[in-house]
Parts: sequence; structure tokens; C-alpha cells
Amino acid sequence: MIVGSRRSRQLTDVLTYAVVAFFLIFAIGPLVWLLLTSVKLESDIVTSEGVRYWPSAITFEHYRAIWAQTDFPTLFKNSAVTSSVTIVLCMVSGTFAAYAFSRERFQGRHTLLLGLLVVRMFPAVMMIIPLFIIMRSLGLLDSSAGLAIAYTSFLLPIFIWLLKGFFDNLPDDLEDAARIDGCTRLGALGRIVLPLVRNGLLATTVFVAINAWNEFLFALMLTTSAGSRTWPVGLQLMIGEFQLPWGMLSAGGILSIIPVVILFAIVQRSMVHGLTAGAVKG
Amino acid sequence: MTTWDRSSGQSEADRFALAIDRVNPLSWLGRLSESRGWAWFLLLPTMVLLALIVVYPTIYGIALSFQDVRLLRPNAGGFVGLRHYQDMLDDPIFWLSLKNTVVWVVLACLLELGLGLASAMALDRALPGLKVATVLILLPWFLPKVVAGNMWALMLDSRLGVLNDILVRLGFLDQYKAWFADPSTALITAVVVESWHSFPFFTLLLIAALRGIPEEMHQAAAVDGATTVQRFWHITLPMLKVVIVAAVVLRVIGLVNSPDLLLILTSGGPGHATMVLSLYAFETAYRGFDFGYAGALAVVMLLLLMVFAWAYVRVSGVMARQ
Repeated sequence: MIVGSRRSRQLTDVLTYAVVAFFLIFAIGPLVWLLLTSVKLESDIVTSEGVRYWPSAITFEHYRAIWAQTDFPTLFKNSAVTSSVTIVLCMVSGTFAAYAFSRERFQGRHTLLLGLLVVRMFPAVMMIIPLFIIMRSLGLLDSSAGLAIAYTSFLLPIFIWLLKGFFDNLPDDLEDAARIDGCTRLGALGRIVLPLVRNGLLATTVFVAINAWNEFLFALMLTTSAGSRTWPVGLQLMIGEFQLPWGMLSAGGILSIIPVVILFAIVQRSMVHGLTAGAVKG
Repeated sequence: MTTWDRSSGQSEADRFALAIDRVNPLSWLGRLSESRGWAWFLLLPTMVLLALIVVYPTIYGIALSFQDVRLLRPNAGGFVGLRHYQDMLDDPIFWLSLKNTVVWVVLACLLELGLGLASAMALDRALPGLKVATVLILLPWFLPKVVAGNMWALMLDSRLGVLNDILVRLGFLDQYKAWFADPSTALITAVVVESWHSFPFFTLLLIAALRGIPEEMHQAAAVDGATTVQRFWHITLPMLKVVIVAAVVLRVIGLVNSPDLLLILTSGGPGHATMVLSLYAFETAYRGFDFGYAGALAVVMLLLLMVFAWAYVRVSGVMARQ
């Protein structure tokens, strides 16, 4: 997009790399600092004379401490269960809905799609309060299943929109070809369409999983005991109540973002593609 | 199933296959998929689920805002009409939260848009290494707010914060500063943290939008003698307009509705310097258990957002082009 003489082109190249370098430091710098803090000795973190940048020795003591001395393993397990149930709920109902919105032309299609967008406008508190009251009367309060159901209320619409974009990318005559070969519509969906859209389905699922894993506000309100509390709530409560030392806090932070970073690294290409599909057509 | 295998001359094997078909649930579903209501069968699970966990709670929530519902006072109950909304008019914290919400949303949105635009324009160029850089720069958006908030709290700590140290060394500060304890800097510092977390959302959408601008437009403009700055104003920005408008609407909704980061960083303090509407509503429900008033605050937020979205899209004239 930059047009001009060779000299000005070289100049813009240098400028581009300078801007990118700034953003790399801005985006990743804090994470590097978190990682450094998590492997520093306590005496390197809390010093008498200013900030010590490079650790004098590397220790994994903070990781051992947060894993063995707190209920971090339980918090992790609870988060994993909640995220898994959310994924299952979204996949089982959302896959068919996304397919219908993408491939079928029925009355009310636009209204319903718009409705899914409007759900995003609802303040979290507006959903949390009634869900709290309803779940308390159903005995779902403070359970992983209840929390997963609450997550589904805002993640299912996103799941459907994202996955619909991936279905939209498939050629129109795919099902027709399958049906000429004797498949039912269900057969065409199961044998032809779903296998073709599996990367998109994976990226969409990972996006929902990351959001469920990270969620804080609903979990804070809807869980009250260690039995179902997720790690963001648990970590925040430890910081507030027990004045968690910075080293342990950093170790906990690094541990909890490892699954996110790995999942994002695996599916980033299709995920970026899916998230921007609407923008390109826009 | 198709009909031609049910013609008159059925063999024994065909009839057997048909009998199996009748009891096989998959084949029953297969026949269902040929009916006219197929789309609605596909939508049924989602519709039932959303009716139960979105539509019903929403109506319930709006109804709550006209009632006196306090968890700790079970006998409170009862319809109070518009009383919560009247109380809001006389509530100084409500007005302060509203003002803070406007500051919070406007500043964060502008900063994120600026960062997103600058990063997207740089990353859009076809130079070696930028693909990997893009992935790394997008990463913050996928990270949990609990980690993001506490990580920045660590870096800004008034005793051992590395950013304080850097700013002192560079001469911008005389001594370490407690950024979140000072009412004059707390909100703006939180805006920076929020922007760090969410600017990649703009980067992501704007890179995609930049790829959609035909190369020829820039070349033609360059031939006509347009400078880089002129091309940015007259080609790039207008072409990005639709995406920017959509991204801003989505971000404003997100910024107004989710108090997570402020709850983690400041809980609305010091005083009420960082209290925004979403946080005020959440605290009213979570700590005060005053569900009726919290519900009313949420309804007001939703109304403000709807008015904003309508007016903003109207004024920016995006819909008119479609």
C-alpha cells in the first residue's frame, strides 16, 4: 500500500519495524515481567534498594507454593469442568443452529440473527441477578453445571455467529452434490459438511473455551464455595484476603494462562480468520 | 429418505432394510431432515436453551427493577413501581458513576482505536517477520482480566513497581507513585490497562479491513501526486469507516457492560473515583444484595446503550449505504 521511490520505501520499512517493535514491547513486555517475577527469589522481588530487573537465581519455589499450599489444583479442575460443560452445551445446540442460519432460508432468519447480536448489549449484571435467583431456587447455585449454563447464555450467541461464518465459506452446491448421491440432508451435514468445517469448529470451540476459562464476574457471583469456584475468582480472593505474595501471584498467573496461550497458538490462524470474516464483508 | 426404493417390486432384502430403517433413530432423523420444517428442527435446541437462559431471565430482570428485592430482607418484596428509578435521580453515586462511565468509555475507546489503527497499518505491510509479530501482539486480548489487572498492579506498585522505576529513571517522575490510590490518576491508569488488554480487538478487525482495500486505489492516487498523508485521509480512512463504526459500537458495549477490570484493580475507589455504572450495579447486587436497585441500574445502562448505538450508527451514516 505504500507507493513511492526506493528511498522513501526503505524509510517506511524502517518506520514499520519501529512501530511493530513498540507494539511488541507494549503487548508482550508485561508478560515477560510476570514470567521473570514468577521465577525470582523473594529477596529479588522485594528489595531494599530499588527494582531488581534480572533474577540473581532462578527458582520454581513460587510455582511449588501456589500448587501445594493453596487449593489451586481444585480451582483449575473446577475451571476445566465448567469450561468443558460450556463447550458441550454450545456445540450440541449451536452447531445445528449455525448450520441452519448459514444454509437454510426460513422466515424470521434475519430477526433471529439480529436478536443474537442484541443479547451482547445486555449488561452482565442484568443477567447475573435473575440467573442467581433462578439458580438458587433450582439448587444450581454454586455448581459447575449452573455456572456453565450461565456462561452459555452469552457464549452460545458468539459461538453461533462465529461458526456461521465458517459454514458461509463452504461452496453453495456442496449439499446438492451429496443429495444427488443419495444422502439425506442430515447425512450431507454429518458426512460432508461437518468434516469440511472442522477447523472452523475447532477455532470456534477454542474461542468459547478461552472465554469460559477466563471469565470472572459471573463466577464471582454464582459460586460461593471451594466446591465449584473457578481459578480467576480463587486467585482474586487469595490476593484480597491473604495478601498473596507477588511471586506466588505471578506463578499462579503464568500457570493459568499456559492453556490459553497453547490453545491460541494452535488455532490462531483459523480463529483470526473467523473473527474477521464479518469485517471483510462489512 | 427418497421414494424410489419403495416401488412395487420390492425384494425380501429391500423390505428388511425398510423395517430396519423404521426403528433406526438416525434414519428417522434423516427422513425428518427432508421435511419442510428442517431448519426449525435444527434451531430447536438453541431456541429452547436461549428462551430459558436469556429471554426468561431478561424479562425477570426487568421485572425485578420495579420490585423491592433484597436477599438479606426476605420480607421486603413487593411492587414499588418506578421508585428505584426515582431514587436514582437523587443518588449522587449514580451521577458520578455515569460521568465516570462516559470518561472511561470515551478515553479507552479513543486510545484503543489509535493503538489499533497504528498497529494494523504497520502489521498490514508485507515484510518478513510480521506474521509472527501479529500473533504476539494479538495475544493480550485472549488473556484473563484477573491476570492482566494484577500484572499491571505489580508493575505499577508504589514500592516495587518496575514502571515506576523506569519513569523515575527517565526523569518523568520524582518518586514512585501509587497510581491507583490517587483519585486524579486512578481512572486514567485503569484506562491504559484496559486498552492494553483490548486494543488487539481493533488491530484484528482493522488488519482485515486494510486487506480489503484494493492496491490500485493507492497506486492511482500516488500517480495523481497524492502524499502519504493525503492517501491516508482520503482513501484509507474512508475505506475503513464501516469497520471502525462497527468495532467502536461493539467496544463501547463491552466497555459499558463489563466492570471486571475496575473491580480487580480498584473496586471503584479511591472514594468513588473509578466507580462506573456497571461496577456500581454489580456492587449493589454483590455486596448490598439490593437486587431491585441493581436491576434498575442495569436497565438504565441497557437503555443508554441502545440510544447510543442507534444514534451513533445513524450519525455515522453507515446503514444508509447498505
